[in-house]
Amino acid sequence: MLKPSKNGTLSGGIRTALCALALAGACAGGAIGGALTAGPLQAEAADKEDKPIILRVCNWEEYIDLGDWDEEETIELDSGDIIGENSMVEDFEEWYEETYGRQVKVEYSTFGTNEDLYNMLTLGDEYDLVCPSEYMIMKLMREGQTVPLSDHFFDPSDENNYYIKGVSPYIKRVFDEHEIEGEPWSRYAAGYMWGVTGIVYNPEIVTREEASTWKILDNPKFNRQVTIKDNVRDSYFAAVGALKADLLTSEAFRNDPDYAGKLENEMNDTSPEMIAKVQDYLQEVKDNVYSFETDSGKADMITGKVVANYQWSGDGVYSLDQAAEDDFDLAFAVPEESTNIYFDGWVMLKNGIRDDADKQHAAEAFINFNSRPDNVVRNMYYIGYTSVISGGDDPTVFEYADYNYSAEEDEETEEYDLGYFFDEEGKEGEYVIEASPDMLERQLYAAYPPDDVMRRSSIMTCFDEEQTAAINQMWINVRCYNIRKVPWWGWIIAAIVAAATCYLAWIRIREARKKS
Amino acid sequence: MQFSRKNLGIPYFIFLLFFVVAPLIVLVFYAFTNGQGQFTLENLTGFFTDANTLGTLFYSLAVAFVTTAVCLLLAYPIAYILAMSEIKTKSVIVMVFVLPMWINFSLRITALKEVLTLLEGNLARYPFLNAVVGITYDFLPFMILPIFTTLSKLDGSLREAAMDLGADKVQTFLQVTLPLSVPGIVSGVSMVFLPAMTNYVVLDMLYNSTYIMGSLIGSYFSAYNWHGGSMIALILLAIICLFTLLTSDGEETGERGGALL
Repeated sequence: MLKPSKNGTLSGGIRTALCALALAGACAGGAIGGALTAGPLQAEAADKEDKPIILRVCNWEEYIDLGDWDEEETIELDSGDIIGENSMVEDFEEWYEETYGRQVKVEYSTFGTNEDLYNMLTLGDEYDLVCPSEYMIMKLMREGQTVPLSDHFFDPSDENNYYIKGVSPYIKRVFDEHEIEGEPWSRYAAGYMWGVTGIVYNPEIVTREEASTWKILDNPKFNRQVTIKDNVRDSYFAAVGALKADLLTSEAFRNDPDYAGKLENEMNDTSPEMIAKVQDYLQEVKDNVYSFETDSGKADMITGKVVANYQWSGDGVYSLDQAAEDDFDLAFAVPEESTNIYFDGWVMLKNGIRDDADKQHAAEAFINFNSRPDNVVRNMYYIGYTSVISGGDDPTVFEYADYNYSAEEDEETEEYDLGYFFDEEGKEGEYVIEASPDMLERQLYAAYPPDDVMRRSSIMTCFDEEQTAAINQMWINVRCYNIRKVPWWGWIIAAIVAAATCYLAWIRIREARKKS
Repeated sequence: MQFSRKNLGIPYFIFLLFFVVAPLIVLVFYAFTNGQGQFTLENLTGFFTDANTLGTLFYSLAVAFVTTAVCLLLAYPIAYILAMSEIKTKSVIVMVFVLPMWINFSLRITALKEVLTLLEGNLARYPFLNAVVGITYDFLPFMILPIFTTLSKLDGSLREAAMDLGADKVQTFLQVTLPLSVPGIVSGVSMVFLPAMTNYVVLDMLYNSTYIMGSLIGSYFSAYNWHGGSMIALILLAIICLFTLLTSDGEETGERGGALL
């Protein structure tokens, strides 16, 4: 077994510390905001002769079942009851030892944003398995930081290969079709959760039509009552959608034989003209929206401060659930122009795995264990996002969707076909949920968007360095106060203050000289 | 080796080395290099030629200036009344003003958010006002305490002497009390002004989406531009140094003034 050298880890640690300090120093005097958050959640180590495999996993915060459910939370499905007693990580360690006869110790830590993770890796942190979003996976792949999944991982005859047996055919196709540097995503990445972007809105104030366009962000009717995401990629996508709305919703464009390809090109347009237009548009949006938020949007919807909120579908489901608990109805709409389909997926990293076959085996087993249908349900319940796993032959995941979203018996229902996601050969048409009409605009619509939404979904690709720099600069320009906007009286006040300061300083210096 | 008192300073020295000197070296290194690790002044010139970064500096200074002024106007009368009053429970009242500092910062701002929403209707319409109110709320104790301390240490006989010599209350205040409390004002101002320039968490939480210096630095780092971010941090540090130099000079004269009287 090859171990990472002690020295390497140590110097990496010091480097991390130093750079974290540089950051802290940079904010001298002020409060430091959300710094890199990494809380190792170490499982207990047992003394055994056989050294346990150390698996270092880094995942989003609150993105895996931590167990400790109440008895009432048990999910009763036809295939059996599901309850999370221990954390998924502990269960994995136990399962691995039972199944493969080797001890594994998972060192679990978390990150807050894709950029945080990337910065942590740049600073020398070592992880074996990480779970960033698709564009960060693409970036890591392009930089050659990732280890390909083994052939064995894709062998459906091994009963423990839950991922390949259970991954949704739809997701599998996306992962196979999208390439970076000539290699498909699926060779390096295994999906975990996915979703689309959309608008959570209050149906009493906003109509579904008004919420079904990115233009809601600069709709003066909802002046200071809509929130947008505080990150450049999501805002860019929405702005492009709004700016190109006429083209994207035109019949001719929609009926184009290469609609999917063209849509992806349009939505990933980073020409200088487009970036300039987006900057102007976002500046308008900034003066119209309530705020750029990262996670306060959900609470503000419920307290009624805002009436619509740009949201990822997974968080959308969570908002809707939370609001429903307070008897407050919210709904979810996906803009007509286009929606950003996103994935979070597992990739193994070269600087962690380092040709260690045992480690790689454990890492792949970790992915598989989290893809086992009952564990998928546990994670989905705990996080609120939708898993990429449909379950294959195993009906558990569909049963869970049905359990969540099908209507009560005495209600009026509508059929909602989830074939695109669940369909297996020979079972077409079996995956239909009888849902109440309300559900079709709410949680079900967000968790498993219908066919027409999926048709207008587009990947947002990983831009190259030049494009990224241009877009980031655009974002900073949007958020900064331009000095040309300072009014004339602002300059006069500034001049008076500056003059007064100089005068006081001069007096002080003169007095000090006199006295000495 | 014999143990001497000097050795007690070693932990602090090590602390300084690791937590002040080392980060500063890293900061300077990044500020004057580009992506390839070559020496460059581009980051420096870039800051002073970009209308957006300069605008951010202006905006931060404006927020900090207004906040400090409001803090001073609020804190001085409070400190004055407290220091001059004869009540025995003085320290308890001072405690009441400091009490909010014992409550978690984000909790306080969240509460403030609700109060402001109640007063303003829609919070997002008054971003500058919110920033000033939020930071004032956060830093007011830092202004009250030093002024209160200076005023209560003030020798009462000086004021009595002024009154005896025919000065009325206003003259006594303007010509005796106020000049003698300058050191307290100066340390209060420096404790409020500098953090107010960088405390972007308050702005974030109160939905002011315009960047100030702190958030600008953060945005450079999350855009992987460590060099530009370090340069802005360094410029901020230079401003702080300049400010401290000016105020520490003032403190000295203030003390001397007191001694002369």
